[in-house]
Amino acid sequence: MSSRAENLARIARLAAPTLLGFFGVLLLASPLRLFEGQVATPIIPLVVVYFWSLYSPGHLPAASIFAIGLLQDLLSGGPLGLWPAVYLAVQYVAISQQAYFLGREVHVVWMGFAVAAISVSIMLWLFMSLMSATLLPLGGLAMQMLTTIAVYPLFAIAFGDFHRRVIIEV
Amino acid sequence: MDVLGKEGRQAFGLRSNSHVGLLLFSLVSLILLLSSLYAAEASVFKKARETALEAASPVLKALSGPIGWAQDRIGDVGDYFRVLEQNKALREENAALRQWEDEARSLRGVISALQELDVYKQPPEAKPINALVIGEANEAYAHSMIVNAGEIAGVARGLAAVDERGMIGRIVDVSANASRILLLNDIQSRIPVFVEGSFVEGLLVGRSTSRPTIAITMLADGDKIQPGQRVITSGAGGVLPRGLAVGVIEKVTEKEAIVDLSAEYARTRMVRIINYQFPQVEPEEADAPPADAPAASAPTSAAATAPAPAATTRAATAPAQAAAEAAPAAPDEGD
Repeated sequence: MSSRAENLARIARLAAPTLLGFFGVLLLASPLRLFEGQVATPIIPLVVVYFWSLYSPGHLPAASIFAIGLLQDLLSGGPLGLWPAVYLAVQYVAISQQAYFLGREVHVVWMGFAVAAISVSIMLWLFMSLMSATLLPLGGLAMQMLTTIAVYPLFAIAFGDFHRRVIIEV
Repeated sequence: MDVLGKEGRQAFGLRSNSHVGLLLFSLVSLILLLSSLYAAEASVFKKARETALEAASPVLKALSGPIGWAQDRIGDVGDYFRVLEQNKALREENAALRQWEDEARSLRGVISALQELDVYKQPPEAKPINALVIGEANEAYAHSMIVNAGEIAGVARGLAAVDERGMIGRIVDVSANASRILLLNDIQSRIPVFVEGSFVEGLLVGRSTSRPTIAITMLADGDKIQPGQRVITSGAGGVLPRGLAVGVIEKVTEKEAIVDLSAEYARTRMVRIINYQFPQVEPEEADAPPADAPAASAPTSAAATAPAPAATTRAATAPAQAAAEAAPAAPDEGD
């Protein structure tokens, strides 16, 4: 009985980052309207993907990232496969830069996240502009990415604490 | 701030050496992306979207409750500081609305007198469906809202959604208990509109900014558009009813007119979906012009709403009927 409970707890811990990603997608799909709609909802799944790809990619495999991105596409009504591609690209960048970022101070990692977020924005803007055959405005996207970059340290600290206390606690 | 410090370098988490998985899923998402671009309306993708909508709607509904509560509390605090200016604005609006009320009352008299006339045909009544906003796409290039009414409540694809200020968008996906509204400022949104005062018909094209534009195709009429003129739905195409408030012309350039929408998406909490059926032409009057033709000719009267197409249709079909009656007589003469 107790071994079964332990098993369940172990699975829950392993799945926690994926579930956090799903929760971020649901927040993105809910009418949060921060400050009466003045501030765009931060893209929490991007933080989740970057954070766990950097510190513990085994807890957030490519399949999970694909599922998180697909759910976001399905709920926002955009072209399917766009956000999975974006998030997987972020994971690729994070894993390839892991050797550099691991053990660095938080603000260095934060800068890394900012670079990743800006690259993602450029990808998104280029793709959507190509798709709609016009040059789309950059303002909304820039504001949303800036908000996401601004809230990154808060979430990184919370996720780091959560990861050490809950996920890898033995 | 050494949160994930150097000592954590070795012990932290699981390492993944599966680049194969990453490559595989990237490939899958790229193929998915290309195929969903190639066939955006394919039934598989549509079905997937609707299933996700249905599955997520209870969760979104549960989330939107506390979010709405918190927004109301924060809004109360905000209102407290703005109470004086809000009061003044409301008083002015009230005075303007009183004048409109007088005018509406006298117009109601005129209309009821006109309805007594023989040529008048009752237009099909629109049956609005009320729904609450439980979700929205908070993405820079996707503008849509999810509402808690679906097929069971009578919602169908293509119907117009309005809030208390004016039109907000059109239904694009419907599941059993939820549906998605494509907002007017989405890059995929195209709505036939009519500019009051200048009698110009056009397509309202979303530009992913807060202000969509009217692409001026009929170049001859484009220069008649002036800032400040009211924009309503034209009813062309026969899906949307005519006369829903869309916005006001803000700026006119050579190729397009920028429209300031009446809807304020950041405040839309409740929407009304208009279940509108375009006046159908009777089957035996098959020679009559197609359903969208009356709508295109309707702008001759700016205030005309649904009754106008019905009346025009009837007038236009009369000669056709006469011709049909005359036709059987011809063979008799041949004998």
